[in-house]
Amino acid sequence: MKKVLAIVLCLALMLPLLALAEGDGRVHITYSFWGNQTEAESVQAALDVFNGMQDKIFVEPMQIPNEEYTQTLVNYAIADQLPDCGMVNENAVLYFSRNGVMADVSDMYAGEELQPMDCITFRDAGVPVGYSSCNEILILYYNKDMFDAANEPYPSADTPYTWDEFVEVAKRLTFDEAGKHPGEEGFNPEKIVQYGAFVNNWTWQMEVWALSNGGAWFSEDGNECLINSPEAIESIQKVADLALVEHVAPLNVIPEDNGIGVGIGSGTVAMTTDGTWRLGTDFPNLEINYGIAPLPVMKEEVTSCTSGLTGVFKGKHQQEAYEFVKWYTREESNWDSLVLTGIWMPKSEYYYKTEEGIQAWLGNEKYPFKDLETGRKVLVDYTMNYAKPACWYFTPNTQITTNEILFTALQSVWSGERTAEDVITEIYPELCEAIVVD
Amino acid sequence: MSMASMNRSRSGRMASRHRREKTADILCFALLVVLGLAVMFPIYWIFRSSLMSNAELYAYPPAFLPPQWRFSNYADTLQSFEYMKFLGNTMTILLPAVLGAVVTATMGGYAFARLRFRGKKFLFTLCVGSMLLPSMVTLIPLFIAWSKLGLVNTYWPLILPHFCGGGAFNIFLIRQFVKTVPRELDEAATIDGCGYFRILIFIIVPAIKAAMIVVGLLKFIELWNDLLQQVTYITRRERYTLALGLNIFRGSFNDDWSSIMCATCLSFIPGIVFYLIGQKYFVEGIVMTGMKN
Amino acid sequence: MTVPLKKKIRYNRAETRAAWILLLPSVIGLICITYLPMIASFTLSLFSWNGLGEMKFLRLENYTRLFTRDTKFYGSLLTTLEYAGISVAGSIVYSMIIALLLNRKIPARGFFRAVFYLPYVLPALAVYLGWKWLYDYNHGFFNYGIKLLGGSSVKFLDSSAMVTPSLACIAVWLSGNLIVIFLAGLQNVPRTYHEAAEIDGANAWQRFWGITIPCMTPIIFYNLLMSLVTNLQVITPALSLTKGGPGTGSYFMCYMLYTQAFKSHKYGYGSAIAVVLFLIIAVFTGILFGTSKSWIFYEGDDKA
Repeated sequence: MKKVLAIVLCLALMLPLLALAEGDGRVHITYSFWGNQTEAESVQAALDVFNGMQDKIFVEPMQIPNEEYTQTLVNYAIADQLPDCGMVNENAVLYFSRNGVMADVSDMYAGEELQPMDCITFRDAGVPVGYSSCNEILILYYNKDMFDAANEPYPSADTPYTWDEFVEVAKRLTFDEAGKHPGEEGFNPEKIVQYGAFVNNWTWQMEVWALSNGGAWFSEDGNECLINSPEAIESIQKVADLALVEHVAPLNVIPEDNGIGVGIGSGTVAMTTDGTWRLGTDFPNLEINYGIAPLPVMKEEVTSCTSGLTGVFKGKHQQEAYEFVKWYTREESNWDSLVLTGIWMPKSEYYYKTEEGIQAWLGNEKYPFKDLETGRKVLVDYTMNYAKPACWYFTPNTQITTNEILFTALQSVWSGERTAEDVITEIYPELCEAIVVD
Repeated sequence: MSMASMNRSRSGRMASRHRREKTADILCFALLVVLGLAVMFPIYWIFRSSLMSNAELYAYPPAFLPPQWRFSNYADTLQSFEYMKFLGNTMTILLPAVLGAVVTATMGGYAFARLRFRGKKFLFTLCVGSMLLPSMVTLIPLFIAWSKLGLVNTYWPLILPHFCGGGAFNIFLIRQFVKTVPRELDEAATIDGCGYFRILIFIIVPAIKAAMIVVGLLKFIELWNDLLQQVTYITRRERYTLALGLNIFRGSFNDDWSSIMCATCLSFIPGIVFYLIGQKYFVEGIVMTGMKN
Repeated sequence: MTVPLKKKIRYNRAETRAAWILLLPSVIGLICITYLPMIASFTLSLFSWNGLGEMKFLRLENYTRLFTRDTKFYGSLLTTLEYAGISVAGSIVYSMIIALLLNRKIPARGFFRAVFYLPYVLPALAVYLGWKWLYDYNHGFFNYGIKLLGGSSVKFLDSSAMVTPSLACIAVWLSGNLIVIFLAGLQNVPRTYHEAAEIDGANAWQRFWGITIPCMTPIIFYNLLMSLVTNLQVITPALSLTKGGPGTGSYFMCYMLYTQAFKSHKYGYGSAIAVVLFLIIAVFTGILFGTSKSWIFYEGDDKA
């Protein structure tokens, strides 16, 4: 009897599987994305607007966990089940476009008033293949209260720290249980209570330091790997040494944590480098007094810009998907949910070069970062003058090089077991091979 | 040696043996308490992390007790971690899959243990061989096959495979247990005119009930932990399972650790409930039937 | 002896039919979800394929690359073996000790059984996420404790030497299922043997090695096999906690397979790793089965 009951129960539980999609005469397309709850809600809000404003296309969301996003899309492509459009991770853009998965969107902004900035254009061998949905750059965040407590002047929004100044300031902001600073007699690196700095060592964020030190990871045509240059190697070592030698940063071997969660938010780290999206995703939830500044400079002033793109996948609803993506990636369509919340910076030059454009987002009272003048320097001018595209905008196979080979190899550098030179020399042939395979 | 002295020394030995046993029991109990505390500690630590804010989690030194007992974390977490829905989805996959695995593994295990037929050795080797194969090796070919059948985005790819023997480990386990059932029992039943199927249902199954429950639990845990398959076949949020649901807090930009810890604690509940329901069977039961004899 | 007869077993028709009917689901499973996909994987290992583009036939190039040019393959292999070695030995010893303790007449046995079994029923992914807060170099409890006691911080997950043992410890912690199976076995060791040995003057230690262990060998074998195979296929800790590093410290073979195939989209290469891993596991299982006859003590069993 019990068994019968169990079987009936199971069958009843399976019923939802049979639920069928309703027919309403509209073309149903699927939009795939990754993200957490907040992000899912903002996506749904935008889809609702689009679905409500016309009656030809109905867009359904498809949420895929962030970690498994690209591989899931590839599985779907293999099985011929790709969604009609969706977010594409930066490191998969050239991989998708080269293999003919994405539809050509190069004319998406033709004849439009608002043109996406040059530095967020994905190029394969020089030919544009897609545009990021927004612009994000790397900047320096700092906790004002911690600077005040140490009687240290805030980092300037005009003249960035040199690397040495950065390290010095970080030392003054670092202290152990006895209140000693690094370099002082009796300082105990085992018992540090507050760290001065945290340089985010996610692999792709490391590229900016090579540029800053006068080197590069890849040549601009994306055909050559330059990471074995002394400048690039030195830049990696310098970042690792913040924790290993200078004792001004927490050890972060598995580059997953970020300095905002780890440090600024909990009052254990005074300065951290990270992307501008954190203005919207992290800081509104942290009740702290923070400021922003340009990145410290090793030799040349530079920052990286990056952002994923929204791609149209080839398929029978390609045209409808194109319509939707064209609408969806305009700043206005995501204005309240993404731009004014501080998560996205606009992607069109208009919002950086004209006063009314700048006022529209940075000057808006809803924008989470309230200091307009600092924002103008650190977000607007910094983007215009110093932003260079991250390597995946022009280098193929970053899903192998930065994501896999470098990611794993650099962990030995962060842990202090091997030097950057040692590691890079060992993996350099692998990297060179990886960027040319198709 | 006189009879009396022998008796005395014997009873003395018995008494000292009792005393020794007693001290040993006390020592064992103490050891168990210590080890038990050590084993429970990580779970406590996860629980206390779930009651802290992200900032408190990263503070130094780590707090042994949460500075504030933020039970509101759970309320916040439940806002986006749709627990009952995810649990329902998980069970929709788990219950039929576990049932299928237990039934088909019992069939297979019985056949391997008791019946004689041509090709048994070969088939058994194949079966053991399949244990050696990491499941992700077959992920892509299977995915292609399921998509050709048009069943991607349904639960079938996650359920149906478990109706195919339930995995070599489980067949193997059942086989071991069936072997412990005295052969005389089925021989007697054969004389009474019972066929193989009736023997299976009326003699073997009651005797190895405990093992079947163990297989059920093993399967339950295996499926529970099988994130890779779930990620591959489930893409609609409304179909998310608990394991996938944990990913909600790992956003594209930041990990919300206190919510992850809350969701982790919440996801512990079904396993614990399953254990509490089944423990009578799979602990006492396993002991009664045993692995051999 | 029945040995000479074995050669001429007459198969009963009805029995054969019943067997095949009972085994039908398993056979379908073996063919469709194990061996056909496996053949597909093996075929794929001879190709270069990025998932989206054309497949290119490479003959054995993937294998030569793996054995001769891959800088991480041998590290990965060693790591996997080290992990499996520590966690198999650790869990067998640990669960045997706990089972022996639980087998005594002590109060609250059911409660203790639940305590030691509990880690096993928790979702593994969640468990590893939780252990991060114990092992973490900066914020973890263990290092805090060590520092309180005056020691210096240990890089549990942050050094290539420590990461494998640290993760293997979690595996030992998770091995509650072995305890239950051992416990079952212990209760089946005939009391009469112990009593007889005691009268012969054997002490507890001698009885343990002379009676308990031999009687337990079939169960030890099952537990060994199960934990060996699962631990050689380890991936979850690397996936959820350490991401393969530092160095190749947690770059397990299965994780290597996973990253190469699903993250770097080198499906052919990933399949080659899978084939090699399969062979390695087969060798170890083969050794285990091969030696089993010499150390397993069967009591009146037909051994078939």
